[in-house]
Amino acid sequence: MPDRTQRTEAGAHTTPASVSWPIDLSHVTVRYPNGVTALTDVSLHIASGEMVAVVGLSGSGKSTLIRTINGLVPVTSGAVRVGPHTVSALSGRPLRALRGHIGMIFQGFNLADRASVYHNVLVGRFAHSPTWRTVLGIAGANDRDIAMRSLESVGMLDKVWGRAGALSGGQKQRVAIARALSQEPAVMLADEPVASLDPPTAHTVMSDLLHINRERNLTVLVNLHLVDLARQYTTRVIGLRGGKVVYDGLAAHATDADFEAIYGRPIQSRDRLDR
Amino acid sequence: MAATELAVPPRPRVWPRIAVVTGALVVITVLTTLPTLGGVEVDLDAIARNWGNGAERIGKLFRPDLSILPRTWEPLIETIEMALVGTAIAAVLAVPLSLWAARPSNPRAATRRGVRLVLNVVRAVPDLVYATILVAMIGVGTLPGIITLILFDLGIVVKLVSEAVDSADASYMEAGRAAGGTQTQINRLTTLPQMWPMFASQVLYSLELNVRVSAILGIVGAGGLGRLIDEVRGFYRYDSLATIIAEILVVVILIELLSNFLRKRLR
Repeated sequence: MPDRTQRTEAGAHTTPASVSWPIDLSHVTVRYPNGVTALTDVSLHIASGEMVAVVGLSGSGKSTLIRTINGLVPVTSGAVRVGPHTVSALSGRPLRALRGHIGMIFQGFNLADRASVYHNVLVGRFAHSPTWRTVLGIAGANDRDIAMRSLESVGMLDKVWGRAGALSGGQKQRVAIARALSQEPAVMLADEPVASLDPPTAHTVMSDLLHINRERNLTVLVNLHLVDLARQYTTRVIGLRGGKVVYDGLAAHATDADFEAIYGRPIQSRDRLDR
Repeated sequence: MAATELAVPPRPRVWPRIAVVTGALVVITVLTTLPTLGGVEVDLDAIARNWGNGAERIGKLFRPDLSILPRTWEPLIETIEMALVGTAIAAVLAVPLSLWAARPSNPRAATRRGVRLVLNVVRAVPDLVYATILVAMIGVGTLPGIITLILFDLGIVVKLVSEAVDSADASYMEAGRAAGGTQTQINRLTTLPQMWPMFASQVLYSLELNVRVSAILGIVGAGGLGRLIDEVRGFYRYDSLATIIAEILVVVILIELLSNFLRKRLR
């Protein structure tokens, strides 16, 4: 009996349906083994429930910044804190457990094309289920239920048994969002989520992210290079250039001149989604 | 737009490299074919001298003796059974080995190199050597033949499949890692379906090869048609040998047709 209460408590702790975490970076520098310095002394505080755009040209350090938050890229110096955890101090099992609470979507969707949509979404349950269960291929009823609900919330439930590779780009990204949601995350990261999509689909995906941010009060950090999407969907803009934060302010107040300062060149039509 | 001078970069010179490669090939050819320099002896006269013997045997091969057919059924079925069992066991073993031998699915260099080294050794030893040693260890019969086929198949399947995993796009693994998955979880749920068509294709190919190989293994006592081949050859019954060869040919072609059909359906 005491065992059962403990498990319920643990379950309640690991499935924070409405928990949202702040993100803190203090003096973060990332230098890759090939000598390239991707981030230089970056300090940021992102409050829980914020919807933040990180803008900058390719090579500005956006992708590196977002990957330090879930430890996919280790920091060279400085500290990254997400909620109660210090990412930069973790490795192995505790790091995987933490990643289980941080959802991420990618520019290239990163789905296993030959696997079913269902199996792709179950990837989001990795950190929440024991390895032997995955190896034997028997998902728990709870994992299955969460996966189905995530697919339902992005309107992709009817495709659950189909192959991921057979979907269109927009559908793939929605499955990828469902995969991240099935982690029941406390933070959502998105690395150029609409760069491979056509304009109407891009708006759908950004709306989905905004919806997640509002509905679940989830902290959302999204890398973008399109000026109008940053203004329309986010509340705060962080500008990166050459691995340094060169702008940090409300999205509503960010003028074209501010974006030109971030990009280091005049705004062009390719910097907007709706030309 | 007026036609402007194009700044074409200078074309790199390739003839010195071609000259070096050609020169090296010529030198190697000369060294390996001149007996005075320790090369192999190529005696074209021998073909003319022994032509009579060969012609008679080839003549017999073209007049197959069908009376041996009833005696071939049992070893033929044994050969096919060996090929099937060997392929099936090798396929099961090849799944984890292929995953351990590929870089994306096994980031640990130590175990990856270990598996690759062992498989390189396994591949380097000829199948008849395995069969001979195993017959000495286990005794005459199908078991040493089956173990030989398993080793032979593992060498092929694991090498080709792990190289395919190495060169395939593995961006889905980043998603698995970002979700906090262990490498085992990522491999089981996503890498396995990604490599499955390639894997099945290689396993079918190894089944084709197995029928040919297992027909030979009997010569050293490892079961199957080879035993019969060895026997009729010993009695210079080239007409009977022709029947057995034709039989193997038919079976190989049938299995090839079947595997081509299955492979097309995989895509």
